[in-house]
Formats: sequence, C-alpha cells, structure tokens
Amino acid sequence: MTNNKIRKMLAIVACVLALVLFAVGLINLPKRGSESGLKVLENYRIQAILKHAADAAGETPAAYAEKDTPALRTVTASYMDALSEFERLDNEARERYREEHYAEAEAALEEKHRKMSEAGQDIPDNYTVEVDMSGYEAPAEVKAAEVKEGEAYDVLRNALAAIYPSLDAEKGEAMRDGFRKMLYQPDDGFAEQYDRYREVSGAKGTFSAFLIRHADDIVFAGFALLVVAAMLLYSEWLVKKLGIPRVIIGLFFILLCFMTLWCDLSLPTLLSNTVVRMGMNAVMVLAMVPGIQCGISLNLGLPIGLVAGLIGGLLTIEFGIPGWGGFLFAIAVGVAIAAVCGYLYAQLLNRLKGEEMSVTTYVGFSIVSLMCIAWLVLPFTSLKLRWPLGTGLRNTIGLDSGNFRHILNNFASFKIGKFVVPTGLLLFMILSCFLVWLFSRSKTGVAMQAVGNNPRFAEAAGINVNKMRIIGTVLSTVLGAVGILVYSQSYGFMQLYTAPRQMGFIAASAILIGGATTSRCKISHVLIGTFLFQGVLTLGMPVANVLVPGSTISETLRILISNGIILYALTKSGGASRA
Amino acid sequence: MHSEYVLEMQNITKRYGENTVLSDVSLSIKPGEIHALLGENGAGKSTLMNILFGMPVIHDTGGFEGKVLLDGEEAGIFSPHDAMMKGIGMVHQEFMLLPGFTITENIKLNREISNPHFFSRIFGKNLESLDMKVMSSDARKALDSVGMNIDEYTMVHGLPVGYMQFVEIAREIDKSGVKLLVFDEPTAVLTESEATQLISVMKKIAESGIAVIFITHRLDEVMAASDSITILRDGKLVSTLRTSETNIVEMAERMIGRKGESMVDLEKRENPHETVALHIKDLRVEMPGERVNGLDLDVYEGEILGIGGLAGQGKLGIPNGIMGLYEAEGEVALFGEPLKIGDTSAALRAGIAMVSEDRKRVGLLLDQAIEDNIVFNAMQVRGEFLRKIGPFSLKNSKEIKETAKQMIKDLDIRCTGPLQLSGTLSGGNQQKVCIARALCMNPRFLFVSEPTRGIDIGAKKLVLETLAKLNRERGMTIVMVSSELQELRSISDRIAIVSEGKLVDILAPDAADADYGLAMSGINPSEQRRKEAAGHDEQ
Repeated sequence: MTNNKIRKMLAIVACVLALVLFAVGLINLPKRGSESGLKVLENYRIQAILKHAADAAGETPAAYAEKDTPALRTVTASYMDALSEFERLDNEARERYREEHYAEAEAALEEKHRKMSEAGQDIPDNYTVEVDMSGYEAPAEVKAAEVKEGEAYDVLRNALAAIYPSLDAEKGEAMRDGFRKMLYQPDDGFAEQYDRYREVSGAKGTFSAFLIRHADDIVFAGFALLVVAAMLLYSEWLVKKLGIPRVIIGLFFILLCFMTLWCDLSLPTLLSNTVVRMGMNAVMVLAMVPGIQCGISLNLGLPIGLVAGLIGGLLTIEFGIPGWGGFLFAIAVGVAIAAVCGYLYAQLLNRLKGEEMSVTTYVGFSIVSLMCIAWLVLPFTSLKLRWPLGTGLRNTIGLDSGNFRHILNNFASFKIGKFVVPTGLLLFMILSCFLVWLFSRSKTGVAMQAVGNNPRFAEAAGINVNKMRIIGTVLSTVLGAVGILVYSQSYGFMQLYTAPRQMGFIAASAILIGGATTSRCKISHVLIGTFLFQGVLTLGMPVANVLVPGSTISETLRILISNGIILYALTKSGGASRA
Repeated sequence: MHSEYVLEMQNITKRYGENTVLSDVSLSIKPGEIHALLGENGAGKSTLMNILFGMPVIHDTGGFEGKVLLDGEEAGIFSPHDAMMKGIGMVHQEFMLLPGFTITENIKLNREISNPHFFSRIFGKNLESLDMKVMSSDARKALDSVGMNIDEYTMVHGLPVGYMQFVEIAREIDKSGVKLLVFDEPTAVLTESEATQLISVMKKIAESGIAVIFITHRLDEVMAASDSITILRDGKLVSTLRTSETNIVEMAERMIGRKGESMVDLEKRENPHETVALHIKDLRVEMPGERVNGLDLDVYEGEILGIGGLAGQGKLGIPNGIMGLYEAEGEVALFGEPLKIGDTSAALRAGIAMVSEDRKRVGLLLDQAIEDNIVFNAMQVRGEFLRKIGPFSLKNSKEIKETAKQMIKDLDIRCTGPLQLSGTLSGGNQQKVCIARALCMNPRFLFVSEPTRGIDIGAKKLVLETLAKLNRERGMTIVMVSSELQELRSISDRIAIVSEGKLVDILAPDAADADYGLAMSGINPSEQRRKEAAGHDEQ
C-alpha cells in the first residue's frame, strides 16, 4: 500500500520535473534559429577568430572586449556568408562526382580484395567503398564562389592584421585552411558550431548559452523522465506482464537510446544497425524454439547446425554458384547435412535424458574442435577458400557480390532518412518464424510440445517420446544451419574454426532474455529477446566509446556485455514468468 | 517425578492451515509394552509419529497442541535429534542404510567408538581413529539380540530385504538408553517367515523393558504381537483396546467406521452383470510402490466398479498397467477382444480412457491452456480437431474452442475461459479438465484413478456426480480406483478390495464395515467368518 503510494508520488514528481524540462527545453530550442541564438554563436565565433588569428600570428591573444568592434563583426559576417556559399556548392559538386563514380570504385575494391585473397592476406572486417577524388575538378560556379570567398577572406585578414600587426599575408595564408575548417563544416548545426568555437577559443560559457546549446538534451531528459514516470506507475503491471528480467533489460535499452541522443550519436543509424543484427541473428535464436519445445531445453549443441550451414556455404563458393541460386543451394546442402547430424545428435540426447544442458554444451564444444581439424583437411580447391600456401581453409572467408553477400539485406531494402530497412532480411525472419509457429500448431508440433512440457503426460497419451525429441532436435539443428547462412550473408563473411563456439550461447541467452524458460518458449520470446540482446550490444558500444574515448573499451565492453547477458539470462533460466 | 508410562501423548491436535488432521488424540504406553497403532491411510498415524519425532514438517507449520510426556516429564522434542537423544528410535519402512558400508559401520554410523591419538589431540575429535573391535562386538551383541547370526563385517549391499530390516532394528537397539522403538510397517516387505521372526524379535525387545509402537495394517499381526491397541480414524481417536479383549472383526469395524452418509444420492439398481467389458487375468504390473501381483478381475458393461485398498497395495497399478504406463504382463480383453498390454496408444485406440491419479505430473500440461489439455488425446490418438492443409494437419482452433467451451459448461469448470493455463486452476477444476479430456475420446471404458485426491469436499461431490451421470446417461463403464472408501461406496455398484497386489474380495457398497476392514488387511471376510464359525463349533 505504502509502497504503491511512494511509487505514485515519485511518478508525479518525475512528471512535474519532466514538464519543467520540456518547458525549459522548448523555450530554448527555437532560440537557436532566432536572434539571441545567432548572437550567442556570433560572440563565440569572434572569440574563436581572435584566438585563432593570435595563434597564427604568434602573439598573445588580445583582450576580447577591446577588440570586438562592430566593424570586425560585419567583416566576419560577410566572410561567413561567402564561405558557406562556396562550401555548399563545392560539397554538392563533390557529392555528385562521388555518386557518378561509386560503381567504379566498388568494382575496384572488389578486385583489390580478390587480389588480397589470392595473395593470402586477410580482408579487413569493416571496410567502406572510397571513391577516388583525384579526378575531381570544380565546376565554374564553384570556382566563382571560391574567388568571392578569397576576397572576403582578404578583408577579414586585413581587419585581423590591424589587431595583430605581425599577421602578415604569409601567415594569413597559412592559417586559412584551419580557419575554414573551424568556421564551416558540412551539416553544421547550432550545437556543432557552438562546440567548435568554444573549443578553439577556450571562452567561458554563460548559463543562457548553455541552455540553448543543450535544449535538445533537456527535452530528451524530459522524455526520459516521462518514461521513468510511466514505468513507476505501471511497474507492477509491467513486471507481471514481462517479468523482471525483460523490464530490466528493456530499461537498460531505453537508457542506452537516451545516452546515444545525449552523446549526439545518430540514433536512427544505430537503430537501423540493431534491426539488421536482429534479422541476422533471429533464425539462430529461433533454432532454440524446437529444442525447448521438445524437452531438450536449450540446444547449446547448436554449432552442429552452424557447421552444417557453413559447409553448405563453402560448397556454394567452391562451385561458384552465384546469387539466389547459390544461397538456396547453400541452404539446401546445409539443411541436409544438419538433418543427418541432428538425427545422430538426438539419438545421443535420448540416451542421456535429464543431463541435456551439459550434454548439449559439450557436444557443441566437441563439434567445433572436431571441425577445426576438418577445416584443415577438407579438400576444397577454390582459392577464395583456401590458404594460398599449404592446406586448409581460411579463418574468415569474405563473401562478395558474386556469392550471396547481402543477398537478403539488399532485397527490396529502402531508406527512411538514416534508417535503412533491410526488407528481405526481415521478410526472411518473419517467414521463418511463421513456419515454426505453423509447425507448433500441427499435430506433430502439439505432440512435441507436450513431450517437452510433460513427458509422462505425453506417454499417457500414447506418444512416442523419443521420436518427438528426435524431431525437435533435428528441427533445431536444421534451423541452426539456415541461421548461420542468414548471419553470414548479412555479415559478409563466413567465419570458420572457433567462431561458431560462442553462437549457441548467444542464441540461448537471447531467447532467455526474451522471456523463455528452459522448458517453455514462444515465437514472441525470440523476437523480443533478439531485439533486446542485439540492441543493447549495438547501442552499448558506441556509447561506451564516447564515455571513455580513445580506448579499446568498445571491444572489452562487447565481450563484457554479451557474456554478462548470457550469465544473467542463465540465472533467470529457471524461474521466469508465465507471460 | 516418575510415571508408570514411558510415553504419554495427551490431547494432541494438529492443524495444517484450516485442515485439522489430528484432533484430541491421546496415547499412553507402559515400558515393555507392544502397542499397535491402527488406522486407514490418512487416519493420522504418520502425523502422530512426526509429532513424536519432532519432525520439521510439524514445527514449520505452526507446531501442535497438547503435551508429549516421557517418563512423566514434558519431553520438549523439537527435532529428530532431540528424539534420538531422549531414547526414541524408529525402524523405517524404507531402509535407511548405506549399501556400501558393512553391517557394523551401518549400526554404529555417527555413533562410532574412537580412540584418540597424536593428531586428533591437535586437530580435534573428528580425526580420532575407530575402534573397530569394540564396535563390532557391540554390533554382534545387537545382532544377536534380534536373532541374526550373520557376520557383522558383511556389506549391506546385497543383503536380502528381510536382513536389512533386522540390521535396521539392531541399529536402533544398539543405541544406549533406548526407551521406545517405533516400527513403521515393518512387515510390509518381509516374507511370512521373516515376519514371524520379526514379531518374535519385537517381543524379545519388549521383554527387555523397551516400549514398542507397532504401526501396521495387518490385523492378524496386531493380534499376534501387541498388548494394547490404539485405533485412529480421520484424525480422531476411536478407541484404545486391550488386545486380549478384542478380535479381528471388531478391530476392522472400528478402523473403517461409517463416515457419515453417502456423498452422492443415487437410486439403487440391479447390477447388470451381463457382458464382461474388461476381463483381466493374472495381471502383473511393475509400478514402483504399487505392484500388482497376479490379479484376476472381471468388469461388467455399464457398471461402476470401485477398486479400494490401502496405499501401496497395488490398486493404482491396475489402471496404470493396463494403460501401459508401467511394465505389465497378463491377459486383458476389452469387450471380448484381446488387448495388447503395455501399449498405451493401442489401449487408447481400443476405447479406454484414463484419468490419472497424478494430476500434476501425468494428468495435465500445466503450462498450456485448458482447451489444449482437453482436446489433446482426441487430437493425437483419434486425429480429431485437425484441419488438413496440403500435407500438413494443423489444429483447428475454432472447433477446439467450441468443444472446450461445451466441456467447461457441461462439467462446470470454473475458469476465466478456455485459454486459461491449466496450472492456475484449483485442484477440483484441474480434475474436471482431466475428465473432460477423457470424455473427448468418447471412451467405451473409463478408468478413473483417485479422482478426488487433494480437492475440497464440494468439488469432490461434483466430480463424483459427474462420474455417476456419465455412467447413467451415456452407459459408460467406469472403474474408479480410490483410497477413500466413502466415495467408493457412494457411487460404485461393486467394490473390489486389493491387498498385496492381489484381489481379496468384491464387496457390495453396503457391506459391513468389518468386512471392509478385514479385506483391506488382506483377510477375505467370508473366509474369516467361516473360520470363526468353525472355531465356535469346536468350542
């Protein structure tokens, strides 16, 4: 009772605070475009210019108040106009050039990667297509704008030279580039300019300027407080509906979303990445479902399926089957191998009932180790796959547009602002989920779930428990094979050797976070779990990088977060909610 | 203060929440006396013994009312350890022996005799070395006193069951200062000659001045061994008798008693006895704790046959064996057609349905909706409630929902709707879901096992009425297995009593209480009458 009251009080306080923050934020936010905002910017800009010029001239900076004359302001303003006009035109022209030559550059990069493979070098995991700008030539209008900018600059330099006598033409020319960069950047907003000028000038900020600068953050904080208030009000309902683990992880995810905003990272881009990662992992997580339903609990022996899928993918590259045909061939081969291996694996599990957790874990480890040998001796001949010297397959095998790289991601994908929707990937995920859901409603599916739920009940209904467990295990393994191919096509690489070892755990913890228990799960658990797990990972790392800059914290954190989530999920695996 | 009684339990009352399991029970035992404690399952014998031993289950649930006096003094027993220290010993029904240890080690476990040496003086008593010589001579003495001449260095592992029982007794006797020994169903696992020997050992122990509480359901053993008898029924003290002043029939009658009126109103009818619905011959079932050991029984079409008997005597093994849930052999024929025994789906397809006694572990999918529970068997065995789409058969949600709703209405299942999870229902409603699932199969023959276990009295009545209605209106042949005689008598046409895995007799529901009491202790009532009549004649 009292607890409830305290929560309500807190919620009300949070709401009031949120309203205050909204008011402050919304009053200050429009000021950015208005006179007072521009004035703030101008003040800082003048200070920055004076500082910059003094540095270039090698003189001590003049006292700001003395030198800030209306004349200097006018000169600065006209230079700013000329500069932005020139930069805008120049950037547009460069962008046009880049677009025209993009396909060319991509082809060149692939050619380079091919050569690197042949030479036996590792291809870096993250690369972007860089267009060679050396052939770019500014069009006439840009040149005209540049001339104007130069004239305006001379005027400004003269004005500055009046303040700092030692700032001669030579020094003025030397500082010009830095000057430009300081004053203008593409996609400049209030916040960016404000930060830059203050960084250069080292000027003290005022409170009202601070409010304008952080108006958006204040509004976000207001939203965050509203979320907190809602959570407080509906906490019981939420916990009942979702269970404590999901509420905690969900809150953490929301917190990360706000952190990205406060850190001025691009939330849409990161969310877009989250969706992609969700799509590429979902099928592997889905593979947990038949396992749990048939009573072998978490199928940590998933690497069996993953390895089968990888073999499918390798054969596609070996035979050089391009595009969709290659992808489907990889799936078909992977599924076939997974079905056979899954059957044998299920026989093992049926002989060791009650010890599934440890059996699946060690089967997973063993198969990865066994395949480490196999990858070295399998007789693949394609140079894309093999080490150029000696025998054996490469560690990571890069896919390219000749194979099935991004075949699902790029299928009918479109952009909404910075948010890229990987339509094909999402469709494939939904289709897989739908098929598994459909199976769970079939006669066999219902019987299989009964076996997982209560084997003695199933026996009393005359169901062959072992057979159902075999079906579930085979299905799980097969889904694992499909899952790794979906993952690889999106990632752009196939990882062999020890890479698949961890994936079973990642899939298992994702579904546990989604709300499944080791004996009960639904498709919704897969979707929620994958989204939260991948979301926390994708958002967590850039935020960590901003908070602790210039360190390898992101890599450390990736391992910490993913293993932490696994551990946390496993502690919750026993008693979760019935929601 | 010294008392003539070694143990007095005065006005003991024990409640588990609302449920009173013992009310105002008193018991007193003199030294050297063998006192038999009699009662059906659930009469309160175990609770009384749990109180005597200060088991945690008693003290964790609010303790008890009344007094326990040892030698006239308040005993204050709060844990089994207290009980042991105060000289109360227990010979368990399930042996508590370590198989990999010798007899001596088992007898002396945790009471080892040890000699100090250099290290133990430094590191404490736990490191002292064992004095095996003294220990084995003690064990020898204890073994001799129970009449066992087996070597005391023999491993317990591999001993015959009967021997283990005696080792257990020897262990209790060996404890110094034992004043009172409790034997909990000691003869249940023994052969007849071993049982006779055990009784003589018991008498010998009593002669040495130790009081004995003897818990059993075998009335003839009570007559043979005990000096006095306490009979409990439904947690109440029925009577305390001197053995010399009573006889088997009287004991049986008092043990059963008539517990109020019939729970369900049904008009009397003639038993049909025309066609045999289920013919069982020499049925043997390996169900742990409920072994069936060569049982013959005929069930007639259209009747309700009750199967009664004490727990552990094999009555539950009958339906479980025929349905193939446990290893079974024997001949079973349903409506004249032989039934493959041990094959669950064959039995189900032949038209037998079963409501299991173990609702939570066998009877229900606790994590699934009521509707899925109800139609499960019909879907899996008979292929109903499915919709064919190409090669796939998917469940037909609409049809399932309709059937479930109908069942919920017919059986009056109290729930929020067919989608409620069955694990969240009350016991009575869960039972109804189980019955509904059986009914969905349209069975010709229905096994109902302990249908009212763990559900409240109102729900019990509803379940029984439902069964009677199914029998009367649909002509379904029903075999109901139950530990509660009262409910068997309420709706059965005939009642078969099973003891030690065999059929003892088939009684009419209105047969005398004494007959039921006798049958449950494995004595055929009509034979007993004949014997008594013969005895009278001889006199």
